[in-house]
Amino acid sequence: MTAVPSPQRAAAPHAALDRAGPWVDRVFRAQATLIYLFLYVPIGLVVLFSFNAGEHTGELRGVSARWYSYALNDRFAMGALQNSFVVGIWTSLLATSLGTIAALALQRATPRVRAIFDAMTYVAIIIPGIVIGIATLIFFVNIFGFVNPWLDFVWKTAGLGTPPVIGKGLHTVIAAHVLFTMAIVMVLVRTRLAGMDRTLTEASFDLFATPFRTFTQVTLPQLRPAIIAGALLAFTFSFDDFVIANFVAGPGQPTLPMYVFNSIRRGITPEINAIASMVLAVTVTALIVVGLIFRRQARQAGERSQVPVAMGIAEDA
Amino acid sequence: MDRNEFETLLHDFQRGRISRRQLIQVAGVGVASAIIAACAPAAVGPTPGATVQATAQPSAGATPVPTIDINADWTPPKGVDLGDTVGVTTWPNYHDPKTLARFKELTGVTVELTIFGSNEEMLALLLVGGTGWDVLVPTNYTFKTYAGVGIIEKLDFTKIPRYDAARYDARLLTPAFYPAGSANQYGFNKDWGTTGFTVNTKHVTTPITTWKEFFARAQTDLSGKVMIHDYQLTSIGSALVAVGHSFNSVDKAELAEAEALLKAVKPHLFAINSDYQPSMRNGDAWVSMTWTNDAVQLHRDIPEIEYIIAADGGEIWSDFFTILSTAPHREAAYAFLDFMATPKVMAQDAIFHGSPLLDKAAIALLPATSTGNKISYPDTASLSKLEFGTAELLTSQARSDLWARVKSSA
Amino acid sequence: MTGREAGAGRRGRSRAVTALLLAPTSAWYLLLLVVPLLLLLVFSFGARAPEGGYAPALLLDNYLALPTRATAFVNTLWLAAGGTVLCLLVGYPLAYYLATRAGSKRTLLLVLVVVPFWTSFLIRTYAWITILGNTGIPAILDSLGLGRVVLINTPAAVLIGIVYNYLPLMVFPLYISLERLDKRLLEASKDLGAGRLATFRQVTLPLTSAGLLSGAILVFIPIMGEYVIPALLGGGKVFFVGNALVDLFLQSRNWPLGSALAIVLILVILTAVTFYLRVGSRAGIQREVSIL
Repeated sequence: MTAVPSPQRAAAPHAALDRAGPWVDRVFRAQATLIYLFLYVPIGLVVLFSFNAGEHTGELRGVSARWYSYALNDRFAMGALQNSFVVGIWTSLLATSLGTIAALALQRATPRVRAIFDAMTYVAIIIPGIVIGIATLIFFVNIFGFVNPWLDFVWKTAGLGTPPVIGKGLHTVIAAHVLFTMAIVMVLVRTRLAGMDRTLTEASFDLFATPFRTFTQVTLPQLRPAIIAGALLAFTFSFDDFVIANFVAGPGQPTLPMYVFNSIRRGITPEINAIASMVLAVTVTALIVVGLIFRRQARQAGERSQVPVAMGIAEDA
Repeated sequence: MDRNEFETLLHDFQRGRISRRQLIQVAGVGVASAIIAACAPAAVGPTPGATVQATAQPSAGATPVPTIDINADWTPPKGVDLGDTVGVTTWPNYHDPKTLARFKELTGVTVELTIFGSNEEMLALLLVGGTGWDVLVPTNYTFKTYAGVGIIEKLDFTKIPRYDAARYDARLLTPAFYPAGSANQYGFNKDWGTTGFTVNTKHVTTPITTWKEFFARAQTDLSGKVMIHDYQLTSIGSALVAVGHSFNSVDKAELAEAEALLKAVKPHLFAINSDYQPSMRNGDAWVSMTWTNDAVQLHRDIPEIEYIIAADGGEIWSDFFTILSTAPHREAAYAFLDFMATPKVMAQDAIFHGSPLLDKAAIALLPATSTGNKISYPDTASLSKLEFGTAELLTSQARSDLWARVKSSA
Repeated sequence: MTGREAGAGRRGRSRAVTALLLAPTSAWYLLLLVVPLLLLLVFSFGARAPEGGYAPALLLDNYLALPTRATAFVNTLWLAAGGTVLCLLVGYPLAYYLATRAGSKRTLLLVLVVVPFWTSFLIRTYAWITILGNTGIPAILDSLGLGRVVLINTPAAVLIGIVYNYLPLMVFPLYISLERLDKRLLEASKDLGAGRLATFRQVTLPLTSAGLLSGAILVFIPIMGEYVIPALLGGGKVFFVGNALVDLFLQSRNWPLGSALAIVLILVILTAVTFYLRVGSRAGIQREVSIL
């Protein structure tokens, strides 16, 4: 936020290393290019084969966009895509709000409470998806086994008609995803809180602002990059998760990764490539739009782009 | 046992002079071939009393997959609310999408398929519970366990009027759905088949005839081109046959020999995968352990892929329609089973999946391309050495430990 | 009211508010983390019911039987370590380039590292099946006269899949670490006559060790729990602990043994994390990266 003169920072890295000579530069650029090729050739193939007129993703037989219309009309694929979006958005909302609140609350908690939450947060993050997926599935089924007869009893006694039956469904997937993503949000926000400039908060109090106003006008804006990063990560993780969803999703309500995995088993058609390309296009567009908005805001405010900060990979200078 | 002896036995059994169990004991392993002889389409005419409308088009070779019109033959049960979905848990490539679509047209019920590659996986999720499945298609060797633990329920055949037990040959079915001493039925037959291997004859020019050869050549000239199932029952069983033992063996020494063979062949395998159709189709694999119905589909699309029933033994299996005791959509499940029990529907489905049937009325409806298909309806001689899987294989800890050891070996 | 009472009242209210704010998260952790893990712990001391599943018992047998799955563990450790090292070898030069030479395009290039991950993980991995399969790279190598190489369904394929999927997790901490590196130290080193390699070895590397460790742990731990990559790219021939777990729960239905294996896996991972934190704190690092 204090303006570090840009030219000075830009010159410094080059000064020390450019003396190495241009060929080192070329080597670096070459290896970077290779790595980007490595990253993008599979993506390119996915998009390329989505235009395959043939039946199999392995062999290109003419070009056609028919798989896109097939995918858009495929009820099962679109249903799975929709399920993934719904789960992703709910997960992101819940994880971000719960995680941020918890991170702030932990500031005021005793060290012992903080230690317990830290431990659980760590475990939640590092536990393999397989383990938590299986364990959560067993837990859910047993809980439902208890709750459903009880609901049955209550409904019948009260004469309320058909009792609701709780089973696996999108809600169980959301619940399982929120666990992991909430932990991530907590870590992001707590790190940001730890690195936050205290003087501003103190100044706010000195200027007689109420705790609430301090929170909304000083703390929250500084936390914004971490919260946004957390929300994005939560959505991404939830949208892309296969292992946990595979265990706890309900019958007839697959998420997109589950649908893709089953297609791989049965023999994949370019329809899957079409769906993947569409999702990629949407997210890249969203990213570009967000980036442009940030850059316009920054230009208007006369500051550097906030994108790296929002991504959590740079601090507010 | 020759044909006449068998006929005598069959008549005795049908007249109640001997019990089913006695029949099996007498007939023994040769039962399989004898049954098939009895069930062979040429030997069977429509059973008296069954209304069979033979509207099947004789195969003129015009269309690759002929269809049977089932329009007037089945109507949904009256006055029953079927709901809008039914969950069917089954095997890959096992149901004609047109059949399921037809069911939906007639009843408004969407069939949701859940696909697995092994009975073990189905059982594992059933043990966890809360699956939401209604209809299950298990294999013969699971019945004792499933019925014993109460996973599947005794069928109420008043709700499956189109099923007629007389149309099915009981012998093939007995190990499956009659728990010892019980007169109740837990399922009725969908089809049967064998576990052999498919060979892409364009690339593999010298024939393979036994499991022994299969495993030997996988390590030599066919290295990198052979697949086996990711399934302890068939993979361990075939390895046992290859080293000269029974498919169903749980003897420690014999299992150790099979384990050695599997470990030796593993580095040479292309993959250990029960979803072998994609790899066989695109040429990544030239030889694969295969089930009958997949073999029919592969051969139909790629004629150079041949199906071989190993001469030294292997598995014969039969699959059944059952209803889970926890089925949330029981009425729809019964309607679906009744629909599938209709000979025309069963025949229509069989044209797609290719597995041989046991329902004589349905067989009579099949076009010559199906009944003449040597993969679907093989010569009885080739079946003489095959064995049905036994119930204990489902629960054998020794075999599952062995499989884990093989999979983690280098 | 005395000051102390007023203070106590305020603290009590404050504590109540804190508890209220922490309640939803606590409930989530309790119900969806602690209880399921406790279930696993209880199962790990049980017996296998004849048809499979869990039968109540109190036995140590499952832990004693774990060596039967030791090979899977060893496989996983080797490939996780190998994958981590490969990620490091590939990721460090890239991070170095981005942090020091990319200039104004830095952010864009960094974002470009992440963009592939906006396609589905499964589809990306499936694309590799095509690339490494018989119609992909082996066909190219063959046409160049280099002979038939088998790439798919091998540990090598699994390694490639690992590097492909975990590279950003390695690049980001390294980038942050390199970016924060005070370039004047490098200048000073040059001025003192150190060659490029010596500068790198004695200045850059130690100062970025924090990022190195973070990247390594961020990559190593998830690989220990991997299941999909070995399943898809290993063709059933590469058996990780994750695959062993799926096999035990969903095929052999030996839940007690599977639970014991899961508990041990968690303990191994926790040990690795603790080791990382100890080594990291001894090296005097601060929390460089947001995660861990």
